[in-house]
Amino acid sequence: MSNLDLSKISLRPFKLSDVDDFLLWAGDDQVTQNLRWKTCGSREEALAFIRDVCIPHPWRRSICLDDRSIGFVSVYPWSGDDRCKADIGYAVAADYWGQGIATKAVKMAVPQVFNDLSHLVRLQAFTSPENKASQRVLEKAGFLKEGLLRKYTYFKGNIKDSVVFSFLSTDEFPHDDSWK
Amino acid sequence: MEATTASSKPDAIDLSQLCLSEPVAVDLTQLSLRPLGLSDLDDLMVWTSDEKVANFCSREPYTSKDQGIDFIENAAASFLWRRAICLKDRAIGCITLSSYADVDKAREKSAELGYVLGSNYWGKGIVTEAVKQAIKAAFIEFPYLDRVEALVDVENLGSQRVLEKAGFQREGLLRKYLVRKGKSRDTFMFSVLLSDLHPQL
Repeated sequence: MSNLDLSKISLRPFKLSDVDDFLLWAGDDQVTQNLRWKTCGSREEALAFIRDVCIPHPWRRSICLDDRSIGFVSVYPWSGDDRCKADIGYAVAADYWGQGIATKAVKMAVPQVFNDLSHLVRLQAFTSPENKASQRVLEKAGFLKEGLLRKYTYFKGNIKDSVVFSFLSTDEFPHDDSWK
Repeated sequence: MEATTASSKPDAIDLSQLCLSEPVAVDLTQLSLRPLGLSDLDDLMVWTSDEKVANFCSREPYTSKDQGIDFIENAAASFLWRRAICLKDRAIGCITLSSYADVDKAREKSAELGYVLGSNYWGKGIVTEAVKQAIKAAFIEFPYLDRVEALVDVENLGSQRVLEKAGFQREGLLRKYLVRKGKSRDTFMFSVLLSDLHPQL
């Protein structure tokens, strides 16, 4: 069981000074294998990625442990008529897996996102059917599993099925203390 | 789905909710799919100006022939594939495939099916037959496609039945997924895969 005090987990925007901590997890194939991200190969790449992608992003936060970056949560809204929908993604450094951190981070992010993105009605997430850990994160965070979309998308060169989850602006947050 | 006239009896049966198991009075061998042309304009105006038809569409009913001409001449380019649904070569509806390739390269092996049919012809198995023909044509003409999907409003029972009868699988209910007439709507996702038709692939 985890000894980690989840109250030490916080969300904040990325800073260039996160680069060395960022590289530890964004440079790890284990972490990026389930993301569309390319694994960061160098400090320079990591710096450019933080500067050019993470900081200007519509909604991306660093998951921090004692204010050090150990992962991310991102929400990307669609545009035009579809701006009532947004896609959420997340990852945590491999050393910190299995301790409820991603679940805590997603639970913290969801109310912030609905507050920050005023048009948002539907937050959705797509996971690989094999990625059971990620599906558990979403279920514990109160997302509803809606279905399996077959041969839905290319993912790193292969056509994959996707499991789709959603959390609506009208959904209730799960009733337990790990929100705080 | 038969249209019912407004009835003075409050408990009159809404025929659009009945499942008619046999098509009535239409010889489906006279059904064909072909490109839309300007000579179809008057026929096109019949279904595009029909409010019952527009109910589940994202567009409002057409009010002028200019809109019809624009659809025939200019909208073709926005579709991967578009055909008129014809009975004895008269256009009574339209069936389309839209590519995701421009929107999201990761989804370039998927296409979205759409269709519309004049309400006088509902409930006769016409769209089911048109969809079956369209899917066969799609996977032959676009051999890179793996998946054809269709998004159907949760209240559009007739359209859901079409897809089930045409061999699509209902994958799930996507809540508040699409905006129609200014409101977010619960939407069913249906799909058919190339490998559904040809299991060896």
